[in-house]
Amino acid sequence: MSIIVSSIGQGLLWAVLGVALFLTFRILNFPDMTVEGSFPLGAATAVTMISHGINPYLATLTALIIGSIAGLVTGLLYTKGKIPILLAGILVMTAALSINLRIMGSANISLLNQKSIFSSPILQHLPKNFDSVFVGFIIITIITLSLMFFLQTEIGQAFIATGDNANMAQSIGIKTDRMTIMGLMLSNGLIALGGAVIAQNNGYADINMGIGIIVIALASIIIGEVAFGDLSLNGRLVAVIVGSILYRLVLLAVLSLGFSTNDLNLISAIVLAVAMMLPQLRKALKFDTVIKKGVTKHD
Amino acid sequence: MNKRLITIIVVIIAFLGVAFVATGKSAQQVKKQNYIPTVGILQLVTHPALDEIHRGIVAGLKKQGYTGNKIKIDYQNAQANQANLKTMSQKFANENADLTLGIATPAALSLAKTADGNSPVILAGITDPVGSGLVKTGQRPGANVTGTSGDSPLEQHLNVIKQVVPKAKKLGIIYTTSDHGGEYNAKRMAQLAKSAGYDVHMYTISTTNDMQQVAETMASQVDVVYAPQDNGVASAMKTLINITNKNNVPVIPAVNTMVKDGGVATISVSQYDIGYQAGIMAGQVLKGKDTATYPVKTITKGDMVINLKQAKLLGLHLPEDMIKTAEAKGEVFK
Repeated sequence: MSIIVSSIGQGLLWAVLGVALFLTFRILNFPDMTVEGSFPLGAATAVTMISHGINPYLATLTALIIGSIAGLVTGLLYTKGKIPILLAGILVMTAALSINLRIMGSANISLLNQKSIFSSPILQHLPKNFDSVFVGFIIITIITLSLMFFLQTEIGQAFIATGDNANMAQSIGIKTDRMTIMGLMLSNGLIALGGAVIAQNNGYADINMGIGIIVIALASIIIGEVAFGDLSLNGRLVAVIVGSILYRLVLLAVLSLGFSTNDLNLISAIVLAVAMMLPQLRKALKFDTVIKKGVTKHD
Repeated sequence: MNKRLITIIVVIIAFLGVAFVATGKSAQQVKKQNYIPTVGILQLVTHPALDEIHRGIVAGLKKQGYTGNKIKIDYQNAQANQANLKTMSQKFANENADLTLGIATPAALSLAKTADGNSPVILAGITDPVGSGLVKTGQRPGANVTGTSGDSPLEQHLNVIKQVVPKAKKLGIIYTTSDHGGEYNAKRMAQLAKSAGYDVHMYTISTTNDMQQVAETMASQVDVVYAPQDNGVASAMKTLINITNKNNVPVIPAVNTMVKDGGVATISVSQYDIGYQAGIMAGQVLKGKDTATYPVKTITKGDMVINLKQAKLLGLHLPEDMIKTAEAKGEVFK
């Protein structure tokens, strides 16, 4: 039972990434590779600061700011430098590796026996594994509620319009470049925050911890969408969080079924691919639509 | 929001509620007679050296009488995906593993964090256990973590360099920036070599892809190259050797597999031994030895390994006694 609790806790913590990536991947409609750099950037910033004796909450917030700077750079490269977004993200992601090494001064920094946001006294009274559930829940709730509020505001609406149709948005006076940069900053700031929290939960920051992050974040978005179908924007954000938990449970199921861990990456790729193809498969296998199509064609 | 989403959320919350009440109670379990201990082994990535350690651990446990149906070994490999480490460590904790073994630093850190001072964690081949915060001191680890450290015998390596290329003045050291062990050894070697009068140049790669470029630059600037125990350099050894051979620069690596790939000679600590000793220590801890006072065992005793083919190619004359020791106790690649 406690391993399921732990998976739910991990799901809640990693959900921050899903929600953050949602801003660029679904609202702005492009894949932002910067996240694989901003995630370890946040972890490196927070862990280095904590190991120098700085308050862990302050360190976590600083990670958010540093991460948003990474987003800013990608945004400027994309909007002002006219570099394709995929490439701009990859460039920043690559550069971040060197920055992270500079920040940490070594490839791996441990937090054992150091204070972190998980060592606050209230959490010590909770049963095992409930600390990450508790912290994860509070963080993701604050983030999601703020995003829901933000997306209702005038700027938030302009941001959504930019993603929906940039030309249209421009024609009604929205500065789309600014909106794109803001989205990237917000998204990467949150990703770095996630990195800071997860590094504290894991007990260390490692230079290679960004590898494969985008897949985890995508997984929560896609699984949320496939499992829950059409939703309002607020509902979709909640679905991402639940999707992140479901993804952890799927991984747990795969592990406890006794699959070789060598195949884990392949399996998570297959799970994702199937989830993404599901709408197509459903369409292809539904006879009534096939027949309907045939009829309308003959008309 | 649709019904399905709400249902799932309610189910998750309900489950958490039940678990919250339940976990407080079921903590105590009585140990039966003929108790079969569970041991979790967590490895960071599949890699020849790390696989050797794993083999050694199993043999060490067997030596202590833990084999067959006397023990339950759960072996997990995170395939270099660090997100997996946490899940796997948690799996061990959930199985109430009596002891866990970590191969490579991130794996050990993840286990130590999950065990949180409770169940014992045995390190296998962690280069710098004090620096990475796993133990307080090597002599008195102070808590639930102890094990073996695979420290490279750097003084002996420097000796090998002196013997193989007596005239060399400029020493190049290459390591991977993302490899904590490699960096640690490279920096210590730089200090040693400097005080021995060498002109030391440091070179780094961030991934194996950088090797070609960095090696080209390095080979034109130095007389001899030292390659510490470093996963990145070990993987790109063939590339490195291709270039150094063209420039007639010998490479002195830290481990036997790297000599096989084209290094000239070294004193190699057997990865198998590191694992074997960790297995023995794990057996002792299972039998009741206290980890807090069980010193970390640093394995530096190594065997001479030489590559005669490579020496001939570079026109080097290895000292007679070096060849003899290698033939008697170590390994010779021809």
